[in-house]
Amino acid sequence: MPARLRGISLVVTLLLAACMPPLERFPVSREAQPFDAANARLAGTAPPVAATVTFERLVNARSEPQNWLTYYGAYDAQRYSPLDEIDRGNVAQLRPAWIFQSGLIGLVADPSDYAFEAAPLVVDGVLYTTGPDGHVWALDARTGGMLWHYRHAIPLDVPLCCGNVNRGAAIAQGKVFVVTPNGYLVALDAATGKPVWTQVFADVRAGESASLAPLVVKDMVLTGSSGGEYGVRGHIDAFDIATGERRWRRYNVPKPGEPGSESWSGDSWQRGGGTAWITGSYDPELDLVYWGTGNPGPVFDGSVREGANLFTNSIIAFRPDDGKLVWYFQMTPHGMWDYDGVNENILFEQGGRRLLAHFDKNGHLYVLDRTNGALVLATPFARADWGEVDPRTGHVTVRRVPTPGGTEICPGPAGAKEWPHAAYSPRTGLLYVPVVEQCGTFKTADTDFGESLPYWGGDVEIVKERQWGHVKAFDPLSGREVWSWRGEHPMLGSLLATAGDLVFAGEPTGAFSAFDAHTGEKLWSFQTGSGIHSSPVAYSIDGKQYVAVHSGWGGWIKGFAPELYGAPRGDALVVFALP
Amino acid sequence: MPLSRLTLLVAALVLTGCEYMGLARPSVVEQLEPPVVRLVNELPQVDRPNEALVTRIYATGGLAHARLGDDGIMRGEMWARPAQLIWTPAIIVMPEGGRLELTVHNPDMMKHAAFMPSNGGHRLLELPPRSSGRIAIELDAPGFYWFGCPVGNHAGRGMLGFIFVEGGVPPQARLDRPPQPQPPED
Ligand SMILES: [Cu+2]
Repeated sequence: MPARLRGISLVVTLLLAACMPPLERFPVSREAQPFDAANARLAGTAPPVAATVTFERLVNARSEPQNWLTYYGAYDAQRYSPLDEIDRGNVAQLRPAWIFQSGLIGLVADPSDYAFEAAPLVVDGVLYTTGPDGHVWALDARTGGMLWHYRHAIPLDVPLCCGNVNRGAAIAQGKVFVVTPNGYLVALDAATGKPVWTQVFADVRAGESASLAPLVVKDMVLTGSSGGEYGVRGHIDAFDIATGERRWRRYNVPKPGEPGSESWSGDSWQRGGGTAWITGSYDPELDLVYWGTGNPGPVFDGSVREGANLFTNSIIAFRPDDGKLVWYFQMTPHGMWDYDGVNENILFEQGGRRLLAHFDKNGHLYVLDRTNGALVLATPFARADWGEVDPRTGHVTVRRVPTPGGTEICPGPAGAKEWPHAAYSPRTGLLYVPVVEQCGTFKTADTDFGESLPYWGGDVEIVKERQWGHVKAFDPLSGREVWSWRGEHPMLGSLLATAGDLVFAGEPTGAFSAFDAHTGEKLWSFQTGSGIHSSPVAYSIDGKQYVAVHSGWGGWIKGFAPELYGAPRGDALVVFALP
Repeated sequence: MPLSRLTLLVAALVLTGCEYMGLARPSVVEQLEPPVVRLVNELPQVDRPNEALVTRIYATGGLAHARLGDDGIMRGEMWARPAQLIWTPAIIVMPEGGRLELTVHNPDMMKHAAFMPSNGGHRLLELPPRSSGRIAIELDAPGFYWFGCPVGNHAGRGMLGFIFVEGGVPPQARLDRPPQPQPPED
């Protein structure tokens, strides 16, 4: 070989060696298995109980007290169970029947702030529930045995303001519907846990995410977007149950030319917020869906979005068939305090009127005529010095606003009630609410908007040393506080009212407690081991009543209970029954 | 052979056959800021077993692109590098969401396994010494996902890798608004 060619081949060899170190291959002798296949205790399928869950049954959900068919138990969002085996006389004997634990393996998005926030669903002895990071389970509601497990793979780089969380599933026509943190709606076969269809409804590159339990109405499943801290444009979407095809999307912030657009200065509507991260309620007779909308963006700096900023911080009533707005009521016009209006809208009848009750983050209870959105009353239910709300008109006189130097304002950014839900008992006629007593120092600051980045327009520090919580009972017609129980920390678990005249409440300490619905006396408590930031439910099997609650502290702790930021996380579903 | 043609041939081989030349791209050169240069300079120490660290820092086993086949399936190959406790490649790029079939080789004298994310649930491929296997996963969303070797804390010692799924959110899921300012450049 000539010297020059030897030189070339040496160069080539060296280059190849440097670029591609040889590694051995062998004949393929094995295939990967599902990790769940190494769990001999996993049944793999659930009885086909969900196949017969029709819209008709969802409308009449309360006539099936053994089941918990929707996120709130029924379309009216009362979180009331007609079961009465467990009552004030015997609740002291309540003890765990079984505990389900999942753990989380490996890296998860938002590794310190995931939480178990779900309200389980129960259909004829099968319990369906969800966890953070894309997990869904079907369990034997009598024993806690795992029937199937599905996990949607969630990337690490999801824009999550407030934790890797999920609040539960919806069920109908043999399918279980769940959303993922990165904004996918997944329809699973309720018998096998296998996906039937998936749809994307949120844009993670715009800062959107999802956490709510979907709502089935007629032949559609409805979802709402999260991401109000990222300057998004909030929306609610409806999908066909059978095919997953999108029927409609409604934006909660109007475009120029649409009704309400005059309440936004300049092009601020484009980043106006108004997300819809809590499940709505539904009146089948009026054919109206009621949904709360989140804060405007940027959160604290209102100067870049002059006007009332419709339809943020509002209750909106719309037609399920097309998402068309019928009426709205705005609790906090031109919000500057992170007082989302997303909280549940409880539908009930009193004095011959069709009413709606809403405990707002801004510290006021609103009772509306739900046929037309007319205000019946507004009254404070916690410290609220940000403004005065006229009890007859709802008109706001603002008193305290965020400033560059900081202003102490109550409630704090978590609101006087965070998302955990209130309850209503048709037996006592009372509303029950978990209260966050909190104040914060609110500051404004100029913020340049960059898509997918937080768009706060300021900051807030919670006044840690003056925080506590309550469970309170209110008479919805007079707005009178009937009783109040005070807890050491803000109350951050949904309440459950039962026909046993009990109110169940999870505490941030991990205690799960039962109160006398008439007096507020604490009758029973059990330490579950991790803080409760979820929604307990009741169901029965063969006449035996169970109460189920997720115990798994996390979420936006720094916002609602910073004094417990370092408290243990958990992953349990604890189910109680009488001996 | 005239020297100029030889030079051209070598240059062509270098450009096509070697990633080193890619380092000369302006987009790479402009990232050579002092903190990054320091990291690269120190890698010979922190990236060698039983020197600065017990083993390796994560994802130093290189990057590979899965290839999209005519059947719509993406395919790739990965190794457990012998006696190194590292995946090669340690980053696998999928051009879009979908199905990925990876052939995983274990030329090592010790047992390894690949624990990987997939819609439905994690998948586990156990690989005895000097064996190969196949792992099929579904990932539908853009973003990055981790995988690891669950044998004897190999994942903690360096066998932690990532899958990058490229691609955007489908048009129907995007917000109806004009294009927005993007995060500022560093
Ligand atoms: Cu290994």
